[in-house]
This record gives sequence, structure tokens and C-alpha cells, in this order.
Amino acid sequence: MTKIDQFESVFKSAAKTVFEHREVSIDSILTVTDLESSEAASFESRVVEFLSDVRGGGGGKRVIDQEALTNIEDLLRTVKSESPDLICTYRALKSDAWRWGHSLGEYLDVLTQATTTPVLVLPHPNHESPFHTGEGKLDSIVAMTDHLVGDHRLVNYALRFTHRGGSLFLADVEDEAAFERYIGVISKIPSIDTETAREEILQKLLQEAEDYAKSVADVIAKKSIDVRVESTARLGHHLSDYRRIVSERAADLLVLNTKEEDQLAMHGLAYPLAVELNRVPLLML
Amino acid sequence: MGNLLAWAGGGSDGGAAHSVEAWVTWLFAGVLVAMICCLAFEEKLHAKKSVIVGVFALISLLLGACFEILPFGPIVVGGHELNIPVYIPGIDWGVIAIILGSSLFVDVTSKSGLFTWIAVKVTKFSGGDPRKLLIYYGLMTVVFSAVLNNVTAMIIVGSLTGVSLEKLGRKGKLLGFLLVEGLLTNIGGLLTLISSVPNIIVGQAAGIEFVEFFVVSCPYVVIATALTLFMGAKLFGIESLKTDEEREAAKQLVESFDENDGIESRFFFWFGSVMTGLFVIAIASTSYLPYIRELGMGYVALAFAIIMLTRYKAVADRFYQAIDWDLLGFFAALFVVINVMEHALVLDLIGRGLTVILDLPDLGASALLLAVAAFFSSVTDNIPLAAMLGKILASPDIATPSSSPLWWSVVFGANLGGNLTPIGSASTLVAVTIIHKNKIKLSFAGFVKKALPYAIAQIALAALYVVVRHMIFGGASEG
Repeated sequence: MTKIDQFESVFKSAAKTVFEHREVSIDSILTVTDLESSEAASFESRVVEFLSDVRGGGGGKRVIDQEALTNIEDLLRTVKSESPDLICTYRALKSDAWRWGHSLGEYLDVLTQATTTPVLVLPHPNHESPFHTGEGKLDSIVAMTDHLVGDHRLVNYALRFTHRGGSLFLADVEDEAAFERYIGVISKIPSIDTETAREEILQKLLQEAEDYAKSVADVIAKKSIDVRVESTARLGHHLSDYRRIVSERAADLLVLNTKEEDQLAMHGLAYPLAVELNRVPLLML
Repeated sequence: MGNLLAWAGGGSDGGAAHSVEAWVTWLFAGVLVAMICCLAFEEKLHAKKSVIVGVFALISLLLGACFEILPFGPIVVGGHELNIPVYIPGIDWGVIAIILGSSLFVDVTSKSGLFTWIAVKVTKFSGGDPRKLLIYYGLMTVVFSAVLNNVTAMIIVGSLTGVSLEKLGRKGKLLGFLLVEGLLTNIGGLLTLISSVPNIIVGQAAGIEFVEFFVVSCPYVVIATALTLFMGAKLFGIESLKTDEEREAAKQLVESFDENDGIESRFFFWFGSVMTGLFVIAIASTSYLPYIRELGMGYVALAFAIIMLTRYKAVADRFYQAIDWDLLGFFAALFVVINVMEHALVLDLIGRGLTVILDLPDLGASALLLAVAAFFSSVTDNIPLAAMLGKILASPDIATPSSSPLWWSVVFGANLGGNLTPIGSASTLVAVTIIHKNKIKLSFAGFVKKALPYAIAQIALAALYVVVRHMIFGGASEG
């Protein structure tokens, strides 16, 4: 009966997961700051300018300043009542953590985990960055995950944030440690040829991501959206692998999953990555 | 080989030449019945066919030696005296060569991605509409069964059905699809001389040629396929999509299949396609080709397999490992058992029993033989049945002419009987395996209950077809 399995595998491989394009509406935004009123308003205006091509015309905007930002419970209540399409804030909100660069601060930590709303995390106002000098742009967007295939939401959000004429880079970084662990187990099973298993699993794993990325490019081209799609699929584990991609692409925005339960590996890396890449805006989904 | 086979076939002379006591013949008949019972309960015994029949071949040979009914001694091949073990000439090496060659050819050709390319194209062509999908998959099953073999056809189409219905969100209809496909493998298996093993065995015994076989069986296959698909759609409620939105959504889902995914090399894909076409033509025209005619279909099948293997010459052993040695061992042992039974005059005994049927008027005999063959092949393997009936009908006492409808009764009965029970044929067993693999419960009785209306309709149609055809063409053929 192994032949049944062989043919099933061939057909399962032929049944590709194709990107499904959905319009992402970002109308209402909630900007959360720990700044004084005038500085908060100025920060908000930079956010609005930064998102000028992203926002729809229909929604409102609201800024929370130092005075309004009293405690986390109130903030979460506000998010719930306002139900914004996007929360915009910066690293180390209401925290001195920006000085040392080892934490995002507890407010941001809770905000990204306790709400379902995407959070745009910008560099801290005390850090120099193109965003704060008004030179922030959204020409080069990197969407990064450890399981790209079928993640339509991640790609749709990343696409929504990419300026027309810009580039969207889809990076699938499969967990190398997990891969090696499984290959280690396979190497102890006499009926499975280890080298064949390594070669074929890796090839299929990465090929699937490449195929999905190609379907993104095809769908975008079919819909005449002027965005260039590029991709990479590779094994990686250490922060340096992720950092290298962001730096190679000179990313204006990094889009990551941080809230989905099945994205544990990325979730584990998203946090230190967000801490380390403190000059790059992040969209945490 | 011709001499060898003639010698083996002439075993009946040998058998007839020596006298065998009646109780000895009955003892061997008991061994044969025991073997058939064991094959019927193969699943319960947890034993492979080759092992079951191999054990009975050993017992038969030993008993044959003890009772001195086997023709030991050298045999003459092309004027040369050869010392060949007594169990070697009894094997029909022509049949073994066809099965070995064609299964190797199909195995290697499937690596070209050709069959999966066709299967995915057919899926896309249906637009994801369930009714169309049933019809197209049904037709594909019949064609693949005819050109490849029943088991490979069921594996390819059954695997694709599971994947595509899951993609379309219609797994609820999977049982209906797989059952209809399983039943159609045995219809498609009737289309050509090489589509199923009973066809090969009976065709060789009766001297029916490839083209003649196709001309006779084709009209029945067309009508029976249409009937089975119609019944399948009605009984399992497989309807067409109603709205444009449903059609568009289904179309998009099947469009995501990539027919080129399994193609590793464009050259090998086209080479495989051309070779498949040539294979069918060569097999069909074997009896008309000078030199090749003498070498036989087994040579053609092996030649094509070896040509295809040149693509994988460095790793050809992988394909040898994938050969169904159980099936080949089963055939070899089965031929040995039947040969011993021939020397023990068991086949004469069965032949005398069959005269009750054969003495009936021609048409009645044909219809009854078909029904009996169908019944027996539903509870045990149809290959021993076809091999035994083939030997009996070809024996000098009965000497059935190749134009006789009785041969067709055996062919139709042996193939269609497989649709009565899940153990009746290897391809229905594969269908049930895929059904169970998809976590659908279907018991033995459940299968019989669902398949019975189809099987009865197909067998009745076959009996009618054999009778009517003989009434119209019988006299002319014989003349």
C-alpha cells in the first residue's frame, strides 16, 4: 500500500496553497504615547503622514497622551471601546527601557499580547530614525515568518503597507533547530535514509514557501497592483539570520506575527527581534 | 519456450497417459479447495498470497512425487535435452513476462509525471463540479485500467480523488466516488487483452488476439461505464453545482493544482508520453509484427520496461525493489499447483462437473458459466479461477474454439465478480483501503450492500451482451 501513499503525496504536492488577496481596511487609528499633549499631537501627525498612503478616508483618529495614559487596564479598556483598525505606538512606551535596549517595556508587551488589533511599533522618540526626521517611507517592506504558506493575513497586511511602486519581501525562515532535531531522530530510524530525508524534506519545505510567494506575485500582477514581490525561503534560527535579512533589504517596515498561537517559534523570536531592531518600524499582527 | 509450454500444456496428455486412482484425484481436489479457501480468507490469515499458494505448491509437488503422477526426467527443447526441475515448465512464463514487464514499465513511466499530469488536467477540466468530476474520474479510471492495470489505476485515481475532494470541501462524497471508481476498474479491466490478468490468461489459452479482444469488449465497456456512472450519481446524490458563485469558487480551488509539479524533466515527460503511446501500439500489434510475433507480448512488455529503465540506469535497483514480488510469486506458485492438479486429473474432474453447464444449449451455457464464474471470483481470487477454467476449456476433451462465447463468459465473469465483494479483486481491495485510509467506515457487508446493485446490473448486462453478440456474430465468427 505504499504506492497509495506515494501517489497521494504527489497529488498533495500538486495541490498548491494559493494566496488569497483580501482588502485590509485601516481607517481608524489609535496613537498611544507617553508624551505631553503637544508632543503627542506632533507624534500623531508624523504617524498620519507616515501612513498617508495606508489609511482609508473613512475612519477617525485619536491620540492618547501622557495624561491619559494612566495605567494598562485603562489603556486596554480604551482599545476595546475604540476598536481601532491599528494601534500606533513606540518602543519602551512609558518605560525607561529605551535607554538600555533590552526590553520593549511592559505597556507595549501587554498591548501586543492582550489585544487582537495590529500594533505599529515605531522607534522611541529619543532614538534617531528616519521616521522621526520625517523621512520615513514605506517603499521596502519585509514580511517575516517561520511558516509563510497560507498566511494570507500577514501578506495582505504587508501588502497594504507597501507603497505602490515599492517592494514587498516575503521571508520564510524555517526553524533550523526544530528541523535538526527531527533529522536527528530520523537518523536513529534504520528504515529511513537520513540524507535522503534531509534533502527531500528541506527541498519540499522551502519549495512550498517559494511556490506560495510566487502565487502572491501572480495574484498581485493579475490585480494590477504596482508592487514588486520578492522572496526567500531558508533555514535559520539565530537572531542574526533575521537581522541580516532586514538589513540586506534595508527594510522600512518589518511585518511579523506575534499573536497567533501557532506562531510560537516566531513569537519567541519576535520579541528579541523587536527589541534589537530599534530603528526599524514593526507591524505586529 | 513454446516447446516448454507445449510440454506443460501437454501435461494433460501426460496426465491422461497415466492412470490416477480416483481417491488420489479427490485428495488433490481437497488440496485445491483448501488453497482456494485460504485465499478467500487471506486477510484473516494475515498471509500474503504468494506464501499461501507457495505452501500449497510445495504440498502438491511432494504429494505428486509420492503418488508418482509427475513426469520427472529430461525434456526436449529445440532438439536439446534439458534437465529442468519438474515445477519449472508448468509455469506460464509468457504471462509472468507480461506482468513483470508492464508493471515495471508503468512504474518507471509514472516517474515522468505523465499520469499525474493527465489526472490533474482532468481535474481542472471538470472545473471542480462534483458531477463532472465523477464522470471524468470514472472515464479516467476506465482508461487507466485498460492501458495500465486495475490496481495502478485505482491507486492513481483514488489518491487524487481524496486530495481533490478535500480541497473542494466535499469529503462527504468520497465514499461514493471511491466505490464507483473501484467498480469501474473492473469494467476498464475488460477493455484490452492486457488490462487484467484473467484476460491475459484466457486470451493466451483461447488464442484471442489483442485487437479482436478490444473489438468484442469495447461496446460492453462503454455501456457498462455509462450505466455505472449514472447509477453512482443517482445513488450517492452527486449533483452538479447550482450557482455561478459555487462554480467560480470550485474553479478557483481546482485551478490551484499544478499539473507540472510532479514533472522532474520535460524531456523524460515527453519521452514517457511517446513511449506509453508506442507501448499500447506495440502490444496491440504484436501478433502482426514479424519476429516480434514469435517473441510474444511478454517480450514487448519487458523491452519497453528496459528502455524506460535506461533513464534510471544507475538506480534501477530501486524499481526492482518496488516490483510486486508477491503477485509474481503468487502466479508462479499458482501455475505449479494447477499443473500438478492437471497431472492428478483434478481439472478433468472439474471439467466433468462443468459439463452440466457446458451441455446446456450454447447461450444458456454462456450465461450460466458467466454467472458461476462471477460468483466464484467474488469470494476468491479470480486468477486461479481464470487459469483453471482456461485450462479446462482448452483441454482436448472440450477443445473450445476461440470464437466460442464460453471464453467471454469466463472473461466477463472473472472480472465482474470482483465487484460483488471487497475481496473479489485487487483493485476493489485498494479502493476499500483508500476508503479506510480516509477514516470512512465500510464493513465487508457494507461494501456488498452498496456494490450489489451495480454488480448485478453489470453482470446481467454482460450475460445479455455475450448472448446477443453470439446470436448476431457467433455463426459468422465460427464460420
